[in-house]
Amino acid sequence: MYTRRSINSVAIFLAVYLVQVVIFDQLHIPLGGFSIFLIFTLCWSALSTPEVGAIVGFFAGLLLDLAPASNGPLGQWALILSSIGFGIAFLRYGDDSLRSDPLSLVIFVAAAVSVAVTAYIGFNGLLGLEVGRVSQLIRTVIGNGLWTLAIAPFVLPVASRLHHAVFETREFQ
Amino acid sequence: MRYGGDNRSRLLFVTLIVTSLFLITLDLRGVSLVTGLRHSTQSVFGPVQRAASSAFSPVGNFFSDIAHLGRTRAQLKNLQEQNSQLRSALVQRKDIETQIKQLKSVLNLAGTGGYKIVSAKVISQGTSDSFSQSITIDVGSNGHVTRDMTVICGDGLVGVVKEVYSSTALVMLESDPSFRVGVRIAGSQEIGILTGQGTDKAIMQMLDTQSTVKVGDVLLARGSEGGKPFVPGVPVGTVTSVPNSAGQVSQLAEVQFFTHLHSLGIVAVVLTPPINDPRDALVPPKPIPTPIPTVTIYATPPFVTATPGATPTATPTPTTKK
Repeated sequence: MYTRRSINSVAIFLAVYLVQVVIFDQLHIPLGGFSIFLIFTLCWSALSTPEVGAIVGFFAGLLLDLAPASNGPLGQWALILSSIGFGIAFLRYGDDSLRSDPLSLVIFVAAAVSVAVTAYIGFNGLLGLEVGRVSQLIRTVIGNGLWTLAIAPFVLPVASRLHHAVFETREFQ
Repeated sequence: MRYGGDNRSRLLFVTLIVTSLFLITLDLRGVSLVTGLRHSTQSVFGPVQRAASSAFSPVGNFFSDIAHLGRTRAQLKNLQEQNSQLRSALVQRKDIETQIKQLKSVLNLAGTGGYKIVSAKVISQGTSDSFSQSITIDVGSNGHVTRDMTVICGDGLVGVVKEVYSSTALVMLESDPSFRVGVRIAGSQEIGILTGQGTDKAIMQMLDTQSTVKVGDVLLARGSEGGKPFVPGVPVGTVTSVPNSAGQVSQLAEVQFFTHLHSLGIVAVVLTPPINDPRDALVPPKPIPTPIPTVTIYATPPFVTATPGATPTATPTPTTKK
């Protein structure tokens, strides 16, 4: 049971990662664009228990760390996404009033994406890596949040269905 | 009810955080395993990314154009301005190159003939009230130009100065119907009078009734007393046709000017005639005809011995290479 869930989850995340790398990374989307993989991961974490949220965040982060375009050290995204995955699942799991409201979930995910991007930039800054101008960073963080607000309503039903298929939990309509 | 998590989940979370920090430390310390992992990912995704990049680049460019619409417009405007400036510079450069070429040729002619000249630029070309065929040059009395001076260009005679102002001068072109110049045929030295016809051709009348003129003869200015209005030896034109009329007292010939009067840019006014008459030294060299390659094919019928019933076969000729 656990192995089947793990294999299915890995396959789904690899597929989403491939879509991100093959399609969305090639588009020069204005305002810094968005990461469909990040949105999907955080949607998935928000629908899961804190343990699953943290594990999913960790492995998704590792995948992002291994991405060819990643400029941070290995484990940086894993650290950030496992923390945020755990946090978003911890905040949402068991709160039935929030759970039944997809709009609040979208806002949660958008906020989580903005926090993740900010944390990544901040971490890079702490490590002494080149992070760019402040105005550009602010634009990227806000742009990511706004794009997530626009994209998450389309990603959430897909993530919810797949999550339901893997974990046999309740799904959003 | 909110799920608060238990000790197990917190332990898992802490383990993941520690693992992440451990990985970061390993990577920052330059452990080769991490680099190898990244290289493997790159080698797996590289080809896919390249293929996707070529497939999605139009869509990507579209988004990029939307994002940078204002900047693109400004760039477009800048590039249009630059393009316009470059076109203008190119035209100016071509114009300057032509002028340099004309100046070189006129200096060459003047140097060969021993004329002391002052170069001038044609600033207007066309008819005026006084002369039907004239040009205005940008040198006048301030350049020591006076009336009745010969005006030449790299190809030969242009005309004669008719009016002089402080900084400009009016030149009557050799094509003007009232223009007359004494000429001689290079080689035979027979003389005649050339008259402008208002076109790029003129009529020459031989002074001696016994003179003969033929097509292709080159005409040079005979020169006037004191070098005014014409200095000797300046190429004028070439005979293109000789009308054969029995009733004429003297022979006439149609002459094509050497100078292209419609494309004058740089000319020169001859200030001082040469000490010695250059005679035929300024006769332009005859144009060398461009050789046209001809291919001659000789038909060599094979010698076949007519043998009844025999089939002719090609026999290769053996060649020995050393």
